[in-house]
Amino acid sequence: MIGRITQQMTAQNTLAGIESALDRLDTTQQELSTGKSINQPSDNPSGTALTLSMNTQLADLSSYSNQVTDGTGYSQAASTALSDITNAVQRIQELTTEAANGTQTTADMQASAQEVNQLIDEIKQDANTQYDGQYVFSGSATSTAPYQSGSNDSYAGNSGQVTRTIGPNTTLAVNANLESVLGTGQTTSGQPAGDGLLLNTLRNISDDMQSGSSTALNSDMTALSTNLNSLTGLSANVGATQDRLQMASTRIQTLQASDTQVLSNTQDADMASTEISYSTQQAALTAALQAGASIVQQSLMNFLGTSG
Amino acid sequence: MTIPTYMGLQTALSGLEAAQAAIDTTGQNISNANTPGYSRQTVNLTERSELTIPALSSVTGDGSQFGTGVDITSITRIRDTFLDSQYRDQNTTENGASTSSTILSQAQAALDEPSSSGLSGQLDTFFTDDWASLASTPSSAGAQQGVIGQGQAVADTLNTLSSQLSTLEGQVTSQYNTLTDPSTGAVASDANQIAQLNGQIAQAQAAGINANSLEDQRDNVIDDLSQYSNVNVTTESNGMVNVSFGNAAIAAQNGTTDATPLVNGTSVDLTDNLTDSNLSGSGGTLGSLLGLYDSTTGQGQLATYSSQLDTVANQLATTVNSAISGADAAGATAPPFFTGTTAATIAVNPAVTASSTNPPYTAAEANAVASLSGGTAQQTYNAFVTQVGSDVSSAQNTQTTSQSLLTAISNQRQSVSGVSLDEEMTNLIQYQQAYQASARVMTTINDTFTSLLGMLSG
Repeated sequence: MIGRITQQMTAQNTLAGIESALDRLDTTQQELSTGKSINQPSDNPSGTALTLSMNTQLADLSSYSNQVTDGTGYSQAASTALSDITNAVQRIQELTTEAANGTQTTADMQASAQEVNQLIDEIKQDANTQYDGQYVFSGSATSTAPYQSGSNDSYAGNSGQVTRTIGPNTTLAVNANLESVLGTGQTTSGQPAGDGLLLNTLRNISDDMQSGSSTALNSDMTALSTNLNSLTGLSANVGATQDRLQMASTRIQTLQASDTQVLSNTQDADMASTEISYSTQQAALTAALQAGASIVQQSLMNFLGTSG
Repeated sequence: MTIPTYMGLQTALSGLEAAQAAIDTTGQNISNANTPGYSRQTVNLTERSELTIPALSSVTGDGSQFGTGVDITSITRIRDTFLDSQYRDQNTTENGASTSSTILSQAQAALDEPSSSGLSGQLDTFFTDDWASLASTPSSAGAQQGVIGQGQAVADTLNTLSSQLSTLEGQVTSQYNTLTDPSTGAVASDANQIAQLNGQIAQAQAAGINANSLEDQRDNVIDDLSQYSNVNVTTESNGMVNVSFGNAAIAAQNGTTDATPLVNGTSVDLTDNLTDSNLSGSGGTLGSLLGLYDSTTGQGQLATYSSQLDTVANQLATTVNSAISGADAAGATAPPFFTGTTAATIAVNPAVTASSTNPPYTAAEANAVASLSGGTAQQTYNAFVTQVGSDVSSAQNTQTTSQSLLTAISNQRQSVSGVSLDEEMTNLIQYQQAYQASARVMTTINDTFTSLLGMLSG
């Protein structure tokens, strides 16, 4: 190859060798200290693209996961309220059965009517259940209480849905339409709305107990058991929603695990092999430095006598 | 016929002189062993023309030619001009790549990717965290502030990126203007030095002198000039060089005559050479700077980056705003979230921040925005980041490759022109002994005469 070797060449080559050894060592050290093989886009442009889109996917999944948790809490609150309402209705059913068999005194009947009225208030209160400051039975008008206590039973919410996004283009309504079961009841005392729904029936029962009409109470019983059926149906719907949320949660966790794996494979440094490269490069640098220190000093002058 | 009496002394003297010149030159080489751009020198010796003596032989009467010593013809530098032009070509490439990689690395660093603080992470948070929360709890003041705050952070990041790219464009322009300044610029300074040295070298050559150190200086200046753009050097018979610069040099290398070289003998032509058309697309620092950002045309790699960033900002504003208006409740019109269509001007709509129910968006609108996660704006931005990364990586690779080629050529040049101390030491011994031998010849001749004269006087 090259014929003549000069001292400047040796010095330059030694310096270039040390510099490139140091440069490689610096890159490896950066990988080791950050634990990532991609520290800037130029380290691996296509890997960077994958990293960025995996990050977005993971952020999406984490958002779905948050929404599933939130939706579960939402329907959990609805489910609890519905079972309280069911208990109250069952108590009213007992009271009505006792009143309808014609053995009670007027005073007993009136006392029962009193209790029924209290239970109606309790049901409306359950319907006003909140989750995280939102009324769960108001449709999408979550800042409005659906019912007021007192004799006015009119529904203040709407029929909108509250949805949670639990997957790409997958939304799930997490609210239950309680108004379709409760109805309007009455707007003024003693004047039932006549929609045949639960509150209406309960107001009828209360009125009929007040007037002591056991015949009317008997037909109220039939209406009440129909209402109770639709209440049970609504509870079942809420249960189904909870099941779907549970399944979505499992699916999201699986996807999160596999996406995290892909991300880690792309951007994380393989510590074992990086450590090994690091020691190899360090050894190379030390060798280059030693060579520079010992070889460059030698020349013919070291071996010539001073007299020539 | 007889041999001239003192001829031997003259012959020995020429040997002494030759050895002394060689020792002096060796000394010069050793002194300049580490001088950048120094070419080792050598003393060219020739045999002095003989003296013909007719009928030298007393027996046969034949004549003969008699050696008369040695002549120092010249002291010349050892240099390979082919390696010079290879070195300069590679120097041009290396400096161009190094300029690109420095500036592009700065653009890449401004992006701060991949990290959670870069725009990509900001957009992820914006869509999947803040808008999704607002969709779940549209009446929560915390969620509302989250959307506005993160929206402002996204807009700020885009504004900052845009201004950083503009700053880089400004830096590139100012660096280019500094280098090409006709009175103080580095190119003008190099060109003037070459022209001046041309004049001095031509003068020396007319007087029959080898201007070794002036030529070394001139080669050094041309090496320096080659970092700015391509150069092509042609040597005239009077020792001057003509230097073509930029695209004209590339054309000249391909055989086209350059009518307006940068240096023509002792005159310098900056107006025809430091032009956009002559430098744009050429190599070297100047060519790279114009490729990064050309203030005359407003084009270049950095300008492309700016416009890609503008596209990201525009797509972001458009998709978010149209997602909101697309999900408006019947009869209602929510205000657009972003204003502005470029990376420099994008901002959160003041109407949104000022609204009493801020931001005035329904769950349906928030849902529509949240579902934009991973949409066109993010895809465009990811592609942009990937492109910047590839550009930096390819500039760095070119730089590494040209750097090692430059070192290789530099080594070859050193191999030809560089001073080897071992070699000089060997020469020194050789020349010293030649000097001692010539001196011994002189002493011997002196002794011979002394004994002859002694005989006569005795």
